Amino acid sequence: MRQTNYDDQTDLHERIEALEAYDIMDTPPEPEFDGIVQIARVICRTPVALISLVEENRQWFKARVGFEPCETPMAGSVCQYALLSRELLEIPDLTADPRTKDNPLVTDEPFIRFYAGAPLITPDGIIIGSLCVIDTVIRPEGLDEEQADGLQALASQVIALFEARRLSQRKDDLFRRQKGITASLRNAAKETLAAQEAGGVGTFEIDLTRNELRASPEFYRIFHLPPARSYPTSVFETMVFSDDKGTQSTQANRADGSAALDVEYRINTPAGLRWISRTANFIRGENGLPVKMIGAVKDVTVTRRAAARIQALLDLGDRLTQLSDIESMASAAADLMAKALDATRAGFGIVDPVNETVLMQPQWTAPGITPVTGLHHFRAYGSFINDLKMGNPVVIPDVTQDPRTAANAQALLDLGIRVLVNVPVIDQGNFSLVVFVHHDMPYQWSNEEIAFVRSFGDRIQAAIARVRAESEQQLLHREMGHRLKNTLSMVLAIATQTLRPVKERQYVEAFERRVHALSTAHDVLFERNWSSAAIVQVMERTFDRLSVRDRVVLQGEDLTFGPKGTLSLSLLLHELTTNAIKYGALSNTTGKVVLRWYLTGEGENTTFHLDWQEIGGPPVHDVDKAGFGSKLIKMGLGGTGKVDVRYESSGLILRMEATLHQLQQAEH
Amino acid sequence: MGTFNPPKKNVVLVVEDEPLLLMAAVDLVEEAGFEAVEARNADEAIEILNAREDIRIVFTDIDMPGSMDGMKLAAMVRDRWPPVEIIIVSGHRKVADDDLPARSVFFSKPYDVDRVTAQLHAMAA
Repeated sequence: MRQTNYDDQTDLHERIEALEAYDIMDTPPEPEFDGIVQIARVICRTPVALISLVEENRQWFKARVGFEPCETPMAGSVCQYALLSRELLEIPDLTADPRTKDNPLVTDEPFIRFYAGAPLITPDGIIIGSLCVIDTVIRPEGLDEEQADGLQALASQVIALFEARRLSQRKDDLFRRQKGITASLRNAAKETLAAQEAGGVGTFEIDLTRNELRASPEFYRIFHLPPARSYPTSVFETMVFSDDKGTQSTQANRADGSAALDVEYRINTPAGLRWISRTANFIRGENGLPVKMIGAVKDVTVTRRAAARIQALLDLGDRLTQLSDIESMASAAADLMAKALDATRAGFGIVDPVNETVLMQPQWTAPGITPVTGLHHFRAYGSFINDLKMGNPVVIPDVTQDPRTAANAQALLDLGIRVLVNVPVIDQGNFSLVVFVHHDMPYQWSNEEIAFVRSFGDRIQAAIARVRAESEQQLLHREMGHRLKNTLSMVLAIATQTLRPVKERQYVEAFERRVHALSTAHDVLFERNWSSAAIVQVMERTFDRLSVRDRVVLQGEDLTFGPKGTLSLSLLLHELTTNAIKYGALSNTTGKVVLRWYLTGEGENTTFHLDWQEIGGPPVHDVDKAGFGSKLIKMGLGGTGKVDVRYESSGLILRMEATLHQLQQAEH
Repeated sequence: MGTFNPPKKNVVLVVEDEPLLLMAAVDLVEEAGFEAVEARNADEAIEILNAREDIRIVFTDIDMPGSMDGMKLAAMVRDRWPPVEIIIVSGHRKVADDDLPARSVFFSKPYDVDRVTAQLHAMAA
């Protein structure tokens, strides 16, 4: 334990630290301590009792009774002597004791004569003051034993209270700190909430028995509804965009717990269509049936639109390659753009750049939106045609604000146009079409969306350039076909003139017909840019030209031949048909020809078979063996020579074959 | 001369810019038993139509140099000389029926001499 006598300085330091630890000096009176001094006064039968705490230069009384000042300077302190011992200090006659006889409280008012003080000793052994009683009369007998014990017991009560106070103070501290933590947690939560608001997350809870929804403020903000204690769930269900009805939960599928937990749908709000992502869970009652649905919603419009834009660009690529005329392209582009931008109207117009007018074409509109029709003058709606003429897409987020349209905003608003997107289509150097997208409400445009519109414009332009190139090629093909046919006509004219003296007219005519057969084959090939021809078409044209179409039965599935196969088939059929008209089944009025074709084998070895069978003609025999026609026939399809000719009593039967690959190859 | 007047021949105006083809067409018309009048382009054809009143049939190519092509010529003939019949030929594979003037017939080049001859006779009948 501690020694009684300490170095004064050390004592003083320890005392002050201990007092600071109790944080007691200059605190207001407290009833527990007042009670103690009252008891001390009663026990000791003195007029004065004090709890005196001694600092460096003063003594201060935490509680006092019968004594006016709340503190005295050290010179007036008797208690300082009590600090020097762990024992009770009694001075029966202060006027007689050399330590106190000159004390102003003794020599002057209030003329104190008797002092007894019990030291206040902390659990660490530090004496911080005393509990003392004072009398104004000398008490030579001092305190009796019970009084002394009582006073010391009370002194230790004072310390016990100090300790309790300190503990409770620590508890307060802890409490305060905890409160601080809670507050900071709350702040953090608020911040999180703010972040949620920025990120658009709202929470809700649906009471399934009442079909009532309660939600966080952010939830109401997302749904553009004034905050309320609760809403009937039907309010939210009716907000869902018509195309997305059925995605949201309903009273029925919530009740049995079958509602989808994670869904995305669009809602109609005063700010236009918004995409909502909703995730939820059921809380189930004791019977296992859902009683509550709790969840969170987030406005995912930005991400959905970003995804929609990417999809629209991909779709546009597909559509543009499938389409071949510029107006269909403009129309497809408008549709896709409208979807990606949640527009209310989209389409295209035919532009007259000289008169600066646009003739609006039939267009897509959102439900309930009136289409814009008829002829419109660009200048009646602002100056943005200047940008369009330079080939620049125009995006006007709000027609009332943009300098290009502000003066004419009412004309646009009358058409239900608050947001205007115009993409010019420049065809062969002329501003010929304009693709438009309208919104009837202001729309927040991101840079990505503006870039998206530009990208759409670029792609339409590229596709149109391709179509133009293709149509130029088409024109070239047509011109080639035209010249070829003129050349064949010239050949015929020359032949007619040259062969005028020839007596055997049948040879001249046969020649002319063969040239016609060649011309027919070219016609069919021309239709597919000289790359291929459908064989049924080749057959029908040949028989049509020779006026025997109704007497030939075609049996087989249509196939495509290359140019070489097409010419070969056409010339062969011409020879066979003219022979049949001259000598065979088509020389009378009742005979028929059955033309049957089929494939055998697979892959590279697929063989095309063609059977020509004449029925109902006069008896036939092999004629004109050396003639050109017979030679042509004997060369067979594609010059393979695989021909089997038989003269049956019923008529000619001819079987030919060639590999399909040979007939279909592209090279001429 | 005799008292017998040979039947007046129907006159066919042949319009074709390519000389060889013009020659062949004129042969065809004459061999079919008609009188042929030649024109090298639409303007010439209009002059002849203005000058003579006996043209029964106009036989024209489409693709010709000059102020109008055969289609425009045909349209004008139909408009200004309604009784005149029209045969149109072209190296173009097809002409849409809607583009043809009323009572006109189209043949793709090279045309079948017999068919064209039959058509001339049908129109003159």
